[in-house]
Amino acid sequence: MQSPQKEYKFSDIIADPVIRKRWEKVRRYFFLRESTYDMSNRCNIRCEGCYYFTGEKQFADTNSDPAAWRNLFLEEKKRGITFVVLAGAEPALEPELCEVCFQEIPLGAIATNGLKPIPKHIDYRMHISVWGNDQTSLAVRKAPDMLLRQMDNYKNDPRAVFVYTFSPVNIDEAREVTQLLAENGQQITFNMFSAPVGYNGHLRHTAGTLAHTRQVMTELLSEFPETVLFSPYNIIAHTEEKGLHELFSCSYPRMNPSTDIGLGRSFRQYRTDLQWDRDAACCVPDTDCGDCRHYAAGSAVVTARMYRHATDPKTFSAWLDYVDTYLAVWVRRYEKGDNLCPDPKIPPAQ
Amino acid sequence: MFRHDHPATLDNHITVAMSNDSTTVTKIAEIIINELKLEDVTPESFDADLDLVDEVGIDSMDLATIALVLRDEYGIRIDEDDYPKLTTVRIIAAYIEDKLNSND
Repeated sequence: MQSPQKEYKFSDIIADPVIRKRWEKVRRYFFLRESTYDMSNRCNIRCEGCYYFTGEKQFADTNSDPAAWRNLFLEEKKRGITFVVLAGAEPALEPELCEVCFQEIPLGAIATNGLKPIPKHIDYRMHISVWGNDQTSLAVRKAPDMLLRQMDNYKNDPRAVFVYTFSPVNIDEAREVTQLLAENGQQITFNMFSAPVGYNGHLRHTAGTLAHTRQVMTELLSEFPETVLFSPYNIIAHTEEKGLHELFSCSYPRMNPSTDIGLGRSFRQYRTDLQWDRDAACCVPDTDCGDCRHYAAGSAVVTARMYRHATDPKTFSAWLDYVDTYLAVWVRRYEKGDNLCPDPKIPPAQ
Repeated sequence: MFRHDHPATLDNHITVAMSNDSTTVTKIAEIIINELKLEDVTPESFDADLDLVDEVGIDSMDLATIALVLRDEYGIRIDEDDYPKLTTVRIIAAYIEDKLNSND
């Protein structure tokens, strides 16, 4: 007969000095309120399965007027936005607009392919996308020597974190990429290929590739703890057969009708014409929500579900590891601590 | 002095009378002041009808933290789907009283 599980008060959980210290560390960043912005509809490469070149947003007019963008960011600040994510198609092609943004909202991240360096005074986190080793990148992204050029462009640059997107065709290549980055003193975090709406190509994950990815992520986190920004709970949350929405109930406007509080209230995803559409608004628009395991989505969606993780010290520690990882990946000068929960935890239901 | 003196409809399914239990209201105000480290206000002077999002500036993570402290204090569970409805101290007090009464 199983003994009934002990019920913990939240005050009991955070009475542990290690947990309390981490809790106090992460909660100082609860003021972050994000929105995302497509800076350009141009890109210097064309990748299979690219979310940007799916759906309607790629056809939006381009507004390249710095004054218009400055005005937008001033209005965003008034709206309470404290963190920006500059994305699609390739923000590095619009450095002046990125600079305008940085001048108005100094916390943020840029999603870039890393082939054109972004000026150093734009002091955002730089998320450099990696889709495999250079042979695979050449096949999927049609660009030669990608990793070598990315590493060279962002060598000794503390803004940079390489974002390795696991797809069914590159799982085992993550080891050589991580090894190279470790030798170069650079950091990596993990993303999961999440199919764009209507995509049924060979990059869509299956139960088998999810399990294989989980195994490789676990090995790399163990073998390269200084290089890999991730946690055991990140691994579980992003490689379950259920996607993030089914596990955690996505809080982005696209899937959340509430406008009362949180992301449903404040998040917007601006297109290159400076317009936004609530029905399309999430961190990676035009992703198939049922297949979404995207790292950017998890950063918001898992973090928002603090309450359901505050059931016992281990589960709450796993959540703290996740939030600590997300902050280290997204916020300049935030230093990740050691993971507190080494055991894989099953994501709790509400 | 209260702006609301009639039942508030929280959504299509739940109707909760506005709480007049000053003990619960004051306790919740105290929790919010402590958790948000609010200055220049006491539990007794806190306007229980202030909109916590629009007028106090709390966000979803603040509310989740407050919900955990309320769980400790009152031994109740607050559903994640109910957060958006908890917009004032008085509504939170009514919600808690409703939960406590339904456990009787």
